[in-house]
Amino acid sequence: MPSAIRDLYSTPNHSPPRSGITKFTNCRVLRGNELVQDDLWISSRTGKVLDGQKIFFEYGTSADRVIDLGGRIISPGLIDVQLNGGFGFDFSVVPDDISAYAKGLQRLNKSLIETGVTSYLPTLTSQRSEVYHKVLPFLRPSSHDRDALSGAESLGAHCEGPFLSPTKNGIHKESVLRVPSNGFLDLEDCYGADNLKSSSTPIKLVTLAPEQAGALDAIKELRRRGIIVSIGHSEATFEEATKAIDAGADMITHLFNAMRPLHHRNPGIFGVLGTNSARSRSKKPFFGIIADGIHLHTTAVTIAWAAHPSGCILVTDATSPAGLPDGVYDWTNGERIRKTGPLLTLEGTDGKIAGSSITLIGCVNNFLNWTGTSVPHALGTVTSTPAKMLGLEQAKGNLIPGADADLVVLDEVVDEEGKKTLKVEQVWKFGMLVHDTNVDGGAEEE
Amino acid sequence: MRLIIRAKPDSTSAYVAHYIIDRIRNFQPTLENPFVLGLPTGSSPLEIYRILVAEHKAGRISFKNVITFNMDEYVGLPQEHPESYHSFMFRNFFSQVDINPDNVNILNGNALDLEEECAMYEAKIKSVGGIDLFLGGVGTDGHIAFNEPGSSLASRTRVKTLAMDTVRANARFFDGDMLQVPQMALTVGVQTIMEAKEVVIIVTGTAKALALQRAVEGGVSHMCTLSCLQLHSYSMIVVDEDATLEMQVKTVKYFKSIEEVAMGRGFEQKLPLRLRTWSLATPPQTPDSKAKRVSRDEECCADLTPDSMSSRLALPEQ
Repeated sequence: MPSAIRDLYSTPNHSPPRSGITKFTNCRVLRGNELVQDDLWISSRTGKVLDGQKIFFEYGTSADRVIDLGGRIISPGLIDVQLNGGFGFDFSVVPDDISAYAKGLQRLNKSLIETGVTSYLPTLTSQRSEVYHKVLPFLRPSSHDRDALSGAESLGAHCEGPFLSPTKNGIHKESVLRVPSNGFLDLEDCYGADNLKSSSTPIKLVTLAPEQAGALDAIKELRRRGIIVSIGHSEATFEEATKAIDAGADMITHLFNAMRPLHHRNPGIFGVLGTNSARSRSKKPFFGIIADGIHLHTTAVTIAWAAHPSGCILVTDATSPAGLPDGVYDWTNGERIRKTGPLLTLEGTDGKIAGSSITLIGCVNNFLNWTGTSVPHALGTVTSTPAKMLGLEQAKGNLIPGADADLVVLDEVVDEEGKKTLKVEQVWKFGMLVHDTNVDGGAEEE
Repeated sequence: MRLIIRAKPDSTSAYVAHYIIDRIRNFQPTLENPFVLGLPTGSSPLEIYRILVAEHKAGRISFKNVITFNMDEYVGLPQEHPESYHSFMFRNFFSQVDINPDNVNILNGNALDLEEECAMYEAKIKSVGGIDLFLGGVGTDGHIAFNEPGSSLASRTRVKTLAMDTVRANARFFDGDMLQVPQMALTVGVQTIMEAKEVVIIVTGTAKALALQRAVEGGVSHMCTLSCLQLHSYSMIVVDEDATLEMQVKTVKYFKSIEEVAMGRGFEQKLPLRLRTWSLATPPQTPDSKAKRVSRDEECCADLTPDSMSSRLALPEQ
């Protein structure tokens, strides 16, 4: 057992005005691809990471709270760019009373943050047009009030579909899938023109199949409006995928799943990770990996990681039964999901995988042990890399001055066989402690 | 001048660090009567800071009521540059201890009016009653702070152009690029250091041996500004064996013997009740307070005589 997390001192009330500054010491701070023995300063007033030296010399301020983390890891809060729901709530299910949706969302945010996920993209599976009109306004980026107590923060919606290939639909209902024959106009028709305005769009990311008619035009226009495009649920060949990337697609949605496998004469979407940057003007895209131990063979994960480590983003693809006991649960479009342990399958199919029920830190732990990579590299796949993909690296996923003070305190446990496990012990949002396993776990309540 | 010789750099640093800790603890600084400490940067004091931090973390020393003045800072180098002395001090010391940021003083090398900045620094030192203990290192050419060869021994805090030797030595901290190394610095003067109530210098390694030899065995000279300490009433140089290589065997043996003798008589750990003769709260003491000096050490006023630093200090009026 590592030593306890200790409050070294808090300024008593009679001393100079409280600065609201917390300093973490005796900790390993995730900086780039290293864990650095360093101190970290954050402000509960601004909710941001501070430059300790600057506040010391320029403002004559020091921390009024010093926390000794007993050698633990301090990482930026985790970011999940593909989360369909969890804790019984599904972003794609519209209740009769829409106010229930807002309440369900609040509950999910509060439960989600306890898993270490401080920000995420609420992800909508393929739906009929009216669903987008109803729910997208709830899913827009939620950081405007910077309220730590609201729980996990939405960075904007991820619309996974409905412009997907009907033959790579996975569990998306085939009848709602569409082809963007008229390019961007069809996207406006589906999501609503108001939801695609560059100044106010609630959408951050769209997954589509680029081989479909009109898809390339749609990609260009989405990109122009600042919406990120990901390739997925697609029959695209290597050439089609390359064209999509040249048109502005930055990401591949759950690599390997719902796409053609790698063939040595037709490498498919996976092939773009082999792009030789010295010889091609195309860039290697980011790619999502579901490291739940069910969606992918561990070797597939290792190969993808080796092909393009700086683009690797772990996602949960978790659905609403995640965090609930085993059983059968209602899902969208009148279908039902069976949860058997960590495995989720669509009822009435021959065992089609229906998302996952894993936590993001669980993915990181799997990934750590499958690839044998270092802890900072593994954490990078759920912090700095997704932040970079989203163009938010100044605010999220990095512990640099000015970034949001969204943090997880992790304990690193290594068992006799050398298996590493990272455990979330504390979660901080906008500079405030919002979850502490040592307190919430009941240890101090006895 | 006292010369303390230790076997290795580690034990040299440990001696200095614990000497400083003892000084501060015996002083019993308070908000009204803080201890004023002069501090250097560079590789020599690194280990000292490490020990001070460790002792602080172990709860054996607090810097809450300590005011610090740093010796120098580059001109024109951004404060946040990793090689600035602000960064050095923050990284290695200030961020690790409980010092009040308002009590930290470092020259601002980016001040609009550098001369005014220097004048204000001198005034600030005076306003807190002078420096109680100035810790320093020495350059290979014998410079103390940035008072390089030829600096006036009467100098005060001012702008200095750095000697080519120093620029060259510093290039290693700037990717070996001479053009990136600042050419000017603000530094306290020789006289500023001389006015500290006590000066402690750490010197380690063969590279500094010649400088040490000139400072201890040579005459007082502006070509080796460290030699100014020969004129200081309470100065101590703590060195490792390597640093003594250029000195005469006789000198080294002499200083070792007097430390041994002093220790044998139980002087070594003896500290003055108060090094400082006056505080912010009380007016300066008059010279006749010397009458209260410990009689045993009365005759031991000449330099190079076995004594303890403490014995030569005036006791404060009760």
